[in-house]
Amino acid sequence: MTEAAGNMGRETDAPELEAHLLPVLSARLSAIVREMNATLMKCSRSSVIKNSKDFSCGLLTYDHRLLSVEDCIPIHIAALEHATKPITEFFDDIRPGDAFMNNCPYTGNSHHADMTLCVPVFVDGEPLFWTLSRAHHADIGAPIPTTYLTEAATIYEEGVHLPCVQIQQDYRDRNDIIRMCRTKIRVADLWYGDYLAQVGACRTGERRLQELADRYGKDVLKAFIRKWIDYGDRMMEAEIRKLPAGRWRFETRHDPVPGVADDGIPVNVEVEIDPVAATITVDATDNVDCVPGGLNLTEATATAACRIGVFYNLNPDLPHNQGSADRIQIRLRENCAVGIPRYPVGTSVATTNLTSRLITAVASCFAQIGEKNGMGEFAYSQALGEAVISGQDPTRDGLPYVNQVFIGYGGGGASHGFDGWLASGAACDGGQMQIDSIEITEGMYPVLIEQRGCAEDSGGPGQWDGAPGIEGTFRPLAGEMTVYWGSDGDVTPAKGVAGAGAAATSGNWMREQNGAERVLPAFGDTTISSDQAVRFRACGGGGYGAPSERDPDSVVRSVRRGWVSPSRAQDVHCVAVEWDASALDWTLNETETQRLREKAGDAR
Amino acid sequence: MTYKICIDIGGTFTDCLVEDSQGARHIFKAPTTPGVFQNGFMNAIGKAAEGFGFEIGAFLDQVDRIVHGSTVSTNALVEGKVAKTGYLCNAGHLDVLTIREALPKPVFEWRLDYPDPYVPRSRTFGVAGRMTATGDEIEPLDEAAVADAVTAMKAADVEAIAVSYLWSIANPAHELRTREIIREIWPEVPVTLGHELNPIGREYRRTIAAVTDASLQPIVSRYVSALTGALKDAGWDGELLLANCVGGMMPPEDLIRQPIYSVMSGPTLAPVAAQQLMPGQSVIVADMGGTTFDVSALRDGALVVSPEARIGHDMLGISKIDVRSVGAGGGSIARLDAGGMLRVGPESASAVPGPACYMRGGTKPTITDANLVMGLLDPDQFLGGTMPLDKEAAIAVLTPLAEEMGVSLEEAAHAIYTTSNNAMVGLINDMTVKEGIDPRDSSIVVGGGATALHIAEIARELGIREVLIPRFAAGLSAFGGLISDIRREETATLMQSSEAFDADRVTEALMSLQAQGKAFLDAAGVAEKQHRFEFIFLGRYRYQSWEIEVPFTLTDAGLTEADLERLVKAFHDMHERIYSVRMDEDVVEFTTWKVRVTGECAEKIAPAGKVPSETKEATVRQKRPLYLYSAGAKVECPVHMGGDLIAGDMIEGPALIEEPTTTIYVPEGVSITLDTESNYLMRVG
Repeated sequence: MTEAAGNMGRETDAPELEAHLLPVLSARLSAIVREMNATLMKCSRSSVIKNSKDFSCGLLTYDHRLLSVEDCIPIHIAALEHATKPITEFFDDIRPGDAFMNNCPYTGNSHHADMTLCVPVFVDGEPLFWTLSRAHHADIGAPIPTTYLTEAATIYEEGVHLPCVQIQQDYRDRNDIIRMCRTKIRVADLWYGDYLAQVGACRTGERRLQELADRYGKDVLKAFIRKWIDYGDRMMEAEIRKLPAGRWRFETRHDPVPGVADDGIPVNVEVEIDPVAATITVDATDNVDCVPGGLNLTEATATAACRIGVFYNLNPDLPHNQGSADRIQIRLRENCAVGIPRYPVGTSVATTNLTSRLITAVASCFAQIGEKNGMGEFAYSQALGEAVISGQDPTRDGLPYVNQVFIGYGGGGASHGFDGWLASGAACDGGQMQIDSIEITEGMYPVLIEQRGCAEDSGGPGQWDGAPGIEGTFRPLAGEMTVYWGSDGDVTPAKGVAGAGAAATSGNWMREQNGAERVLPAFGDTTISSDQAVRFRACGGGGYGAPSERDPDSVVRSVRRGWVSPSRAQDVHCVAVEWDASALDWTLNETETQRLREKAGDAR
Repeated sequence: MTYKICIDIGGTFTDCLVEDSQGARHIFKAPTTPGVFQNGFMNAIGKAAEGFGFEIGAFLDQVDRIVHGSTVSTNALVEGKVAKTGYLCNAGHLDVLTIREALPKPVFEWRLDYPDPYVPRSRTFGVAGRMTATGDEIEPLDEAAVADAVTAMKAADVEAIAVSYLWSIANPAHELRTREIIREIWPEVPVTLGHELNPIGREYRRTIAAVTDASLQPIVSRYVSALTGALKDAGWDGELLLANCVGGMMPPEDLIRQPIYSVMSGPTLAPVAAQQLMPGQSVIVADMGGTTFDVSALRDGALVVSPEARIGHDMLGISKIDVRSVGAGGGSIARLDAGGMLRVGPESASAVPGPACYMRGGTKPTITDANLVMGLLDPDQFLGGTMPLDKEAAIAVLTPLAEEMGVSLEEAAHAIYTTSNNAMVGLINDMTVKEGIDPRDSSIVVGGGATALHIAEIARELGIREVLIPRFAAGLSAFGGLISDIRREETATLMQSSEAFDADRVTEALMSLQAQGKAFLDAAGVAEKQHRFEFIFLGRYRYQSWEIEVPFTLTDAGLTEADLERLVKAFHDMHERIYSVRMDEDVVEFTTWKVRVTGECAEKIAPAGKVPSETKEATVRQKRPLYLYSAGAKVECPVHMGGDLIAGDMIEGPALIEEPTTTIYVPEGVSITLDTESNYLMRVG
């Protein structure tokens, strides 16, 4: 597209925006994104999208600046602007009715399973916006039926790649492209239904933006965009000015992955806060080269991870647009596992494992600033509770199925004054994933979930506890089922900060026909029948502050919830609890608690 | 003379709407009495008796029906003062109420406290026994474990028990047997079974409904007894009906049996009133009070029902009339944030201290203060002149904000006004577009005292051309109660699909639901000619998991295979209407069948909108200065007293109309006409 059209906003001498239109139009953009999200969720087919909400929608300016996102998967939305930039480089004839599909890690996408549909929005013949919907598809046509291919060292071992391909023209599908996808992707009807839901979301957004332009006029919208991004910039400026100047480093390590990274993958990051210039610099260049497997980050996920780690520690009401994002300066290195991958290296797992380590490393730098800042580490986990299951359903004439389940997640890290959030998932999820209903999953696939619940004592103990992980056991009800998983946190769990303890590690187990249980590796796949079962425990979150300082009533509450055992209450928190059968409740033994706490004080 | 009464208990006042046998209606109010709501209830009737010049006993002798929307269960839930409840679930699944469906949270917000489960784990008992999705028992019920749990609960003075097992909708045997065991050990304790109360898939939703219902059993039952006792003591033995949250009334004994249906029932009566005022149309009902703005809707005249209503951190679990709220009321506070953007609400000055102009110590600028500064409100005419407002106080709190914004006082007031209007526009948008209602094909019906000042601008923003401000706008819910029908929903789960459709089984299920509904209406004393049955299925495309509600017609002959095409088409149409896509080739699944049972109320009100053939411009008797954004200044605008207007009077904006309980703002380009029933019809743009 032409330069002039791309330069809306900053340089144009659009009129000053009337004061009330900033809140009015920003609220309208939010409503449009919410409507896009609702459309995508309710019409989609695969449970990874419709039930677990592994998708996100957003709006960009036509010149690729982040305008509006809503509560969605943070790793999807925090650097959404990378997805459209190549489109305007590849095409010089973009027209109304076009739609482009981008799922390629080398053209600004997150990873191959996230298909990002990008629709240009024209007003009076001039392109002003992009509407985007990004959804994690149940299958993407990889050599094996999973979307997370830990061992795929290059893109040749991944699924279909559509590097900004025109998939609609004049509001109609390009059938050649659809045919190509349907040929290569498993359970293609499911994929196509999900694709249509994405089309519905983007076209709905397009229509609403055009209505907005009809109502307010193009010039007002342009003035608004300038003001709105400027507003994000000012809010971010005010927020950073409140922080102290300094430079902090943090290192964490992804668990060993046999054949890909036998010693694990260290993740280093340095955060520098400059309250005078009101900038935060995140430097992730001091990291290892790309690894021979799918764990490498993409530029989009590395950028998003650095931003997310910062945003988690700032006022959550900040507008997450280009204005606020641009005050975070990010340094990445080419050919780096935690940076920019070098073609054709594999990035199939780019949205979860190293991403979560990187987010946590950035967030943990904030914990070093001192009291009240930062948070305990998030769970690291993609344990069997998030497995991709596949097989043929004997109860439905062998109907093939493949899908990622979301039976159980890890827990959130604690922050000053607050325990971690249950089922927040890893740091890349932002607590946005829904959790599978047992009845919906069992009704749709031949699986039986024997058990699911909060794993006792799995959260990191602190003055504020990390949330426990979810544990569960499942098996096929009939026939054989193949499960793929790629965990982290089996060796290095989420750590606590400011004197708090670490969470329990995650783990995966297999129950054999004879009832004996054996440990499964962190990464792997296995095929089980109905007389076997797999069990998982997702990692908990790290705590914040010394466990013996925890408010005794909060300890009783955690025991009542089944999150903390009475013995841990006593040994770690120095709090004595008692079971009162006449009230069916746990109560605090104050005298004994006082004695325990005094003893702990003396020991210190 | 005979009377009919509707009593609606609100947060501050208990409204008593009385209709006499000539059809004239009168409102009386008494203060609400939390804790002993029946006292406020009786006081309000006392006020009405006084108004008609009777002793309460003599007045009640002439009352043949009382309908009542209570807040007792809503309050109990909001304040967490429900009965001590025990819960029996599957072993291995103790955390259904803790995990929920993962709770919504803002994406970058972590400073939050994860809420406790509705029933604490310490009163949650897992017992072995498991059914599959197809209703096969793969593990028998551990009856000894059930007995142990019940004994423990009895010893701990639990007040009610909920039982909710996985797949009880496919095979209820374990739940039924559990109740038998409870009855053997503890015959008098109230018990709610998940599959009976709320037979839907998704264990969290069925279970949260069951535990909520159980926890309300003792409370609602005590309240209804107290109420009927008080009425009996006053010498009354007529028909008492209680509002439910599916848009109708139920006899007290039915509501006691399923008390969850009384939750949030009051606000659902507003769309019921709108349904009769504008029959058959798509309508948005907008109701702005002191702290919140509530929205509900009618799609082609039908009440919009939502399965996802929430109270606090939990869902209600059952489907109810959809009413949504945002924190935008007269007391919402305006401020500038760190980036210099104006924000209005959700912080509210509430009723105490209230807006600065109320002179009760409020120190922050609110929507009401802004409206007063613009001249939309007259300090001497508020609430019919019964409550004087202090304009100087409003100016004093607005001035610093205006200076900070670098604009004039009136411009700042206008910015607050417009910003708050837009929060309401956002809510209406969210509600309607997701339900397949295009705001531009709809009209608005106004409820609540504060709405009519804002509604014209809201309508304009949404592209809505027609707004109705009913005569009883300020008491729209009580009005709805007076004319509402007896209603109930009967539900059954029966999985069918367009590939494999057993018309006989579906017919059998529907007929059985209809028979249950008929029995309910007979018991409520509704004459057969007033019986109405609506048929609905919940459907989805194969592999979708969010069903949509699709109404369909059923004749006495039931369904045959030939009807399948019609049902499938109705589903495609509704899916397209809501989500703007349809997939004609795809398999459609039918998961749940419902019969909505109605006993039509004899009272009807005339539809609004009848205007005499001759309209004339109303005479302007007075004016006051009003800030007009287009003029950038205050302009003298006509002010009409509602009492001076007659049917057919027409007013072109800009103008204001003062009514005893509301003020109507008619902006430029908008006109308003009084219809034959004293409702105001507004035409926008």
